[in-house]
Amino acid sequence: MGKVKTSLGLLAASLVVAVAAGCNSAAPADSKLPKISIFQSKVEIAESLEALTQKYKEETGNEVEVWGSAGDAYVTQLQAKLAADEGPTIFSVGSGSEAEKFKSYYYDMSNEPYVQYIAPNMELTFDGKIYGFPLGVEGFGLVYNKSMVDPRNVTDLNSFQQTLEALKAEGKNGFSLSQEAYFLIGHIINTPFALQPDPQGFIEKLNKGEVKMAETKEFQEFGKFLDVIKASAVNPLEVTYDSQMGDFATGKTAMVHQGNWSYGMLTDYGDLGFEISMMPFPLAGNDKLAVGVPGSWVINNGASPEEIKAANEFLNWLLTSETGHNAIVNEFKFIPALTNIEANNLDPLSQAVFEATSSGQTIPWAMNYFPQGIIVNDLAPAAQEFFLTKDMTGEQFLQKLDEAWARAAK
Amino acid sequence: MKRVNKALFEAFLFLLALTFLSPIYIMLVNSFKNRAELYQNVLALPSSLSFEYYGEAIRKMNFFTAFGNSLFVTLVSVGIVVVLASMTAWMLVRTDNRWSKLMFMTFVSTMLIPFQTLMMPLMQVMDWIRDVLHIPMLNTHGGLIYMNVGFHASMAVFLYHGFIKSVPIALEEAATLDGCSKFGVFWRVVFPMLKTITITIAILDVISIWNDYLLPSLTLSNKALRTIPLSTFYFFGEFTIMWNLAMAGLTLTIIPVVIFYVFAQKYIIKGITAGAVK
Amino acid sequence: MKTKFDKAWFALFTIPLFFIFATVVIIPFAIGILYSFLSWDGISANPKVFVGMDNFVQLFRDDRFLASAWTSVKFTIFALIAVNVLGLVFSLLVTGGLRMSNAARTMFFMPNLIGGLILGYIWQFIFTDAFKFIGPSTGLDSIFFNWLLHPQFALYALVIVFTWQMAGYTMIVYIAGIQGIPDELLEAAKVDGANGWHRLTKIVFPLLMPAFTICLFLTLSGAFKIFDVNLSLTNGGPMNTTELFALNIYNEIFGYSRYGLGQAKAILFFLIVAAVTLTQVVITKKREVQM
Repeated sequence: MGKVKTSLGLLAASLVVAVAAGCNSAAPADSKLPKISIFQSKVEIAESLEALTQKYKEETGNEVEVWGSAGDAYVTQLQAKLAADEGPTIFSVGSGSEAEKFKSYYYDMSNEPYVQYIAPNMELTFDGKIYGFPLGVEGFGLVYNKSMVDPRNVTDLNSFQQTLEALKAEGKNGFSLSQEAYFLIGHIINTPFALQPDPQGFIEKLNKGEVKMAETKEFQEFGKFLDVIKASAVNPLEVTYDSQMGDFATGKTAMVHQGNWSYGMLTDYGDLGFEISMMPFPLAGNDKLAVGVPGSWVINNGASPEEIKAANEFLNWLLTSETGHNAIVNEFKFIPALTNIEANNLDPLSQAVFEATSSGQTIPWAMNYFPQGIIVNDLAPAAQEFFLTKDMTGEQFLQKLDEAWARAAK
Repeated sequence: MKRVNKALFEAFLFLLALTFLSPIYIMLVNSFKNRAELYQNVLALPSSLSFEYYGEAIRKMNFFTAFGNSLFVTLVSVGIVVVLASMTAWMLVRTDNRWSKLMFMTFVSTMLIPFQTLMMPLMQVMDWIRDVLHIPMLNTHGGLIYMNVGFHASMAVFLYHGFIKSVPIALEEAATLDGCSKFGVFWRVVFPMLKTITITIAILDVISIWNDYLLPSLTLSNKALRTIPLSTFYFFGEFTIMWNLAMAGLTLTIIPVVIFYVFAQKYIIKGITAGAVK
Repeated sequence: MKTKFDKAWFALFTIPLFFIFATVVIIPFAIGILYSFLSWDGISANPKVFVGMDNFVQLFRDDRFLASAWTSVKFTIFALIAVNVLGLVFSLLVTGGLRMSNAARTMFFMPNLIGGLILGYIWQFIFTDAFKFIGPSTGLDSIFFNWLLHPQFALYALVIVFTWQMAGYTMIVYIAGIQGIPDELLEAAKVDGANGWHRLTKIVFPLLMPAFTICLFLTLSGAFKIFDVNLSLTNGGPMNTTELFALNIYNEIFGYSRYGLGQAKAILFFLIVAAVTLTQVVITKKREVQM
């Protein structure tokens, strides 16, 4: 009897040891973290991001899975997955109303070690807590062809008009917007908003109907700019992002209202034969580029504690390791919003934005505070009407904008 | 004279068909150009027929895995729909009571519901099933197949219902007298006579499920599970569309379906001529 | 000879599919109906507020919704005619016994093999860039301009793309129907002296009624629910004039985050169209000739 007990005991003990040994030998000394997932909206960096997670696995043994980005339908898919409790561990949200919408899903990262590296005022905060960080900043303004345009000749409404007319006389197009909602009106209308003393407050008053764009100085001048554009430049509704940049690359268009991201559209054209840069949109004396944070990465607070820990480990690695820095600047081609990265070898457009950011010579992205969906659903259709209706003036357009805004803000 | 007419007619038919396909020509031609070339001339033949974009597209789309996934999901979904819908429709046609009419009307009337209105509640129902019944419905092929069957049920039942009327009930009665159970009657007598419409339904469903983007995009997340449309949309960003890669990807997506259709056609012809000889 | 077993057989044959169908379509739809009485933005953590019939009242005041409803009706009518006429013509051409028939049939059907979203993008490319290119170079400016910039033409563009995609689909159903017409009938008619046109209208068309019911219903529901092509071809533009019904709901739910309102719209429209199409089915089924 005793022998059976002893041998059973030994058997049990050896089993335990075997299992323990088995578990330990399957993972490196620091116990392996669970696999986490990232879901983000920029198609352009998808491949580089996947390559980065491969390197992460090589360096630390932890796995990160990248879910396919979906461009247009990103928000819909994100919402559906979060609603079904199938959300990703880390995901991206656009600034402004989109960030506001999903805030109940964010994990509070205020106490994580990496948040100290975020450049001032760039983090995503609600009620004083930090919930997300930007991968980069972006900026837009007038991207111009140096051989066709001299910035000293584009400093106000009159000189803008003259430049456009002169180029038109030569058979070239001076300026081009594009038909996509943001490139048609979303970005360019940011300037008059950003020039208000308190952009956010102005927007709130506009929502309540206490002020009107048609009665505000900066917007009135904006209306005149649009009249000039309509008279002397190509109709943006006939232009797509592809052809806008194509025309620019081939010297048919001298200036486009675009951002540093558009540089990527030019690489297929090889050596352009001319230099390019970005200058401010000269509305009402503005001499600054519009720089802002397009989106932030957040952690899903619905994930398990182990997953959240794994997510934090990954983010920390991303923001502090050399591989991570290299990816952000050279692979993703973001302009870093971190205090611990040096940005060298930026393309000319990113360079212009970076310099503006470093010196503080920027105007904010007021459009982040617009009511949700207003650019695509209301402002863009109004702009389409403006460019399609021959005798609509900039002034009448402003009234239409006010009407559209009033309807949407309800 | 008649021969000339016929020849002309044939030529006309061929030209018509070709013109009909010109958009596909555009798609093909542009899968070989880079962005700059595309911008120059949309319609021209490419300067070089390098398959580099196809290679890149295959790699980025994880094409062969996605292909396998699509194949699995499509075949199983269609198989189940065909079996269950034919059974259901037959029973509904042969039973003439309130329930049968009600069920049929339910199937038919829901064909009009736009998917968008079901999207979110469906996700929640699937989530509930996972939490309460512990059957994972999301991020699995099984769940996707289940939902595909649900969504294609109405149309299949509707189509079968119409064609079952052409099966003479006398044949069924004879089989029953011979001692066949209901299953026997159905599988041995009725189902073979539904060949034509089964193939039609199969073709329509295969194409619909193969090309479905919306449902898989919501339910599948893991890269390894992706179906072909999901991996094709890899190239469609919010502002930029990598046209050359997208076109290459699209061409790759269509090839399997075309091959399927060409083969399925041959089978239809065989089936129909066999029926005619009978 | 109704036995107790009959009920069991009935259940056995129909319940499996019906169960799947119920969980995937009916229950979510019912839940959706509940949601139409709420005001909610679609995020689980955010509050759902019961507002009763408010959403339904509001949608009647929504001009954009009413416009979209009317445009959807117009689109559906055009599409219905175009798709069925073309599908029927193709099916007749292709069953005429020419050598080209098989090849032509495959070619006519090919467009249906491409998913809607992608189709829309390709055609968008054609209507904007390609047309812009062809117009000036051929001088046919009045036909080849950017259709998508003009409300009327943008709608026609949608009809064209939808027809291009669907004609092959209806063609197949009509072919199945035509193949089902016994040759003897047509031979007998020929012998009796009926010419091509007579044979077509007096024999083929009546016997095609089942196929016709099916095609009519399929194109009706397809045109009605159209979303992919709408989104990728015009995205509702220009100026929301081609925002068809499903897109309007989608924008309401995901663009404006007004979930309850979106659901209410969906239900209302569903009710109206269900009524219309069920009537259509009943009428055409009565005229079907049973073998």
